[in-house]
Amino acid sequence: MKRKIPPQVGVIVVSVILMTRLAAQAPNAQTIHEVGQQYKEGNTLQGAMDNSAITSQAMFEANLKAKKNIVDMKPNTFLSLWNNPAFAVQFEKYLSAPAETTEDYKIYRERIQKIMDLLSPGYATKANQDEAFNLLSKASEFESDANLCTTIHDAVYAAANVRVLVMRLTEANQQNTKELKTAEYNQLHSAQSLSLPALAPGKNDVVVNNEIQKELRTAVMEPSKDEVSSMKATIQKNKAQIATAEIQAKFQMQALILQLFVQRRYQHVIILNRFYRALFDDGDQSLEEFNQMADKMGYNKEAGQVKIVADAAPKGSVASGTTGNNGPGVGAHAGDNGAGVGTGGYYGNSGDATALSGSGLNLGVQNLSVESAQNALSTAMRGASRTFKSLSQIDSVANEIIRDVNEGVKVYKFLLEKQELESAASQIAAVFTKGEYLPSVRLLSQDDKRKTLAYAQLCNRLVNAANSGNIDILIEVVDKMKQLNPGFDDAEIRSKLQSVKTASSLYVAQAKVAAAKGDLQGVQTQITRAAALWPNNPELQTFSAEMSRVSEKASPMVQALSDFDQLEGQGNYRRIFDEKEKYIAAVAADDSPKKTERQGKLRAVLDRMQEIEASIMRAQEISRRGDQAGAWEGLEVTFQKYPDDPKLGQLRADLTTKTPDFVNDIRQAKEFEERKEYGSALAWYLRAQGRYPMSDLSKQGIQRVVRNIAPNAN
Amino acid sequence: MSRRRKSRGLPASVLLVVVVLLAAGGYWIFSQGGREGSLRTVEELDPSLYYSNANSLRGNTYRINAEIDSSLGNSPDKGRLFSITLRDASKAGAPVILPVLVPPALGSLTIQKGQHYLMKVKVGDNGLLSVEEAHKP
Repeated sequence: MKRKIPPQVGVIVVSVILMTRLAAQAPNAQTIHEVGQQYKEGNTLQGAMDNSAITSQAMFEANLKAKKNIVDMKPNTFLSLWNNPAFAVQFEKYLSAPAETTEDYKIYRERIQKIMDLLSPGYATKANQDEAFNLLSKASEFESDANLCTTIHDAVYAAANVRVLVMRLTEANQQNTKELKTAEYNQLHSAQSLSLPALAPGKNDVVVNNEIQKELRTAVMEPSKDEVSSMKATIQKNKAQIATAEIQAKFQMQALILQLFVQRRYQHVIILNRFYRALFDDGDQSLEEFNQMADKMGYNKEAGQVKIVADAAPKGSVASGTTGNNGPGVGAHAGDNGAGVGTGGYYGNSGDATALSGSGLNLGVQNLSVESAQNALSTAMRGASRTFKSLSQIDSVANEIIRDVNEGVKVYKFLLEKQELESAASQIAAVFTKGEYLPSVRLLSQDDKRKTLAYAQLCNRLVNAANSGNIDILIEVVDKMKQLNPGFDDAEIRSKLQSVKTASSLYVAQAKVAAAKGDLQGVQTQITRAAALWPNNPELQTFSAEMSRVSEKASPMVQALSDFDQLEGQGNYRRIFDEKEKYIAAVAADDSPKKTERQGKLRAVLDRMQEIEASIMRAQEISRRGDQAGAWEGLEVTFQKYPDDPKLGQLRADLTTKTPDFVNDIRQAKEFEERKEYGSALAWYLRAQGRYPMSDLSKQGIQRVVRNIAPNAN
Repeated sequence: MSRRRKSRGLPASVLLVVVVLLAAGGYWIFSQGGREGSLRTVEELDPSLYYSNANSLRGNTYRINAEIDSSLGNSPDKGRLFSITLRDASKAGAPVILPVLVPPALGSLTIQKGQHYLMKVKVGDNGLLSVEEAHKP
């Protein structure tokens, strides 16, 4: 079974391909676009065929590990039944159908039961048989009967007619026998009273006289001889006709009984069987005709046997055929339930053939031809004749099956009450298989069947999930099954699922190893295998993300943008400024939605750094002129604005050591000012100004403090 | 037993001369230093102590020998704020420049840059020196 590769697998593979190509095969490519352009220009993906083969292999392994091991292990009997789709559909239909509690079905059941009671041993009087016979037509009016009672009615009617024919022929033969005896007597009398001419008049007339006597004798005796001969022939012909008609009638009824048995219409089997016993007093040899016919069937070895495709559901097929003259009629029919073949009467003219395949003998054929069908028929009939030696056996088995099914229905209800759903489902499946049409099965309420239906649907999902190889769905279904049916034996399934997961993870691990070695083919192989086993393996997503990161690192532009975002976030503006050319180019080429935001941030960083750098240069120049306090003061103003710049901080520290008194005065002044000790602050500012009269910091500090001391001072 | 000999004292004229001389000296002294008489007993301000911890001097009154440096501000409510240079401290090293507040009560005092004053100042709550008396030497 082919399985589709999940989209994420494709993403992973493409990602891996890109990554490796970026790193190994496109050393000169600076961006992803460039790499992609190289592909367009003919850098084909090598080993595509190999990849396909690897994928197929992985699919095979997935099937082997996930599907086959899980489905074929048949965790329970019930699940195994669902491996037969035809049965599953039929069974699901039954479980969904409401109980046949209609008034019509009730009347039908009562009529069938009435017929069976009327024909039951000890009650089958002539009047009861007639009443039962009449009820057949009425029972056949209901849809549930599928006109089977009409078929039985016709078969019984035909058999009864044969009996009348036989009686009439028998009576005719008796009359013919009497007439034959009279004719024989008359013939004897004629012979005894025959008067012939005397001796010939002359010696030469002897021969002529003999001839005349001979002709005379013939003329006298021939009519009586012919009459006797004719009567004998009529008697023999009637005897043959009696034998033929009776055998044909018996065979037809026997075949119909077997057919009904195969159709699991056990009540009809019993009814027809009892009619048969009423019509023909065969005793335990009642299947003799059928068996003899089966033994007489030839077998054409050259034609071969129809190859039987059998399943567990015993379904019958019916066919009809017609033959001319005195030969067996053969009918073949390939229906939904398989092929049926049958034979008509050996002894009549234009005998109709009734075909059957039953007793689990033939269902589904190959190599179907007239000869092979004959062979199949022969085999089927022999099988049936070996299965049942008498109608008593069939009757007994049918009764036993009815009892067994009724008991199975009770057991099903009991198991359902005990919430042993798996056993209950198996039970109802067995009951359904054996006696689908029996009243106890048809009368099961919809509520009684719903739980099994839910379980059956889960079983179907389990099979489908196993077939799909999606173990996540499989786990979900198993969980639900376990929830619905606590007795569900999920140990083996879970064990298998865990094995598959482990195998998938191992493949991912191998893919990582291959990636570390730069082995593209290895990565693809292992990832494909891992995804085939477990498409939603979270490790695959992780691996994909890792590969994406690796591939991004292979692009300087992407890396530069990533670095810019990171450095800007960290406030490391000096680092950005030191490599501003790279970041300017990267942001300019950025085609992501964050481009505008990045441009704004980059502009702010550059403005800030330019201000800092200008301040540093100015301070260095002032310092070179020997004005350390002036240099420090200029730097201090910028430092207050950008205290986190390391270069600015370092230079400020250096200048502090060159003019410590002034710096100390300023710091002390600020300290007192912050403590609102304005007198002291003013004193320190004045002192600093005394040391460096050009000091702006001192001047501003003095003005600030004076305003605090005397707000309205001018 | 011998009779003690009666001692001889200074002559009265000598004593009179001495008394006169003392009186004349006192008059001269008073006539010479009368303006500084009120600050003579006031302790002189220690600039280093003031810089390091003016809070500890809060409420104290000191005498400073100041030269007016510049005017820092003039407030009708608070008075006039000047920066002064301590004359005595500047002799030791770097000039000591301090702020002083001349309250409105001393508004009649004419203060200009470069003038020399002996001031009696009090250390205020925020460490500001407030002038209580000021005399030219």
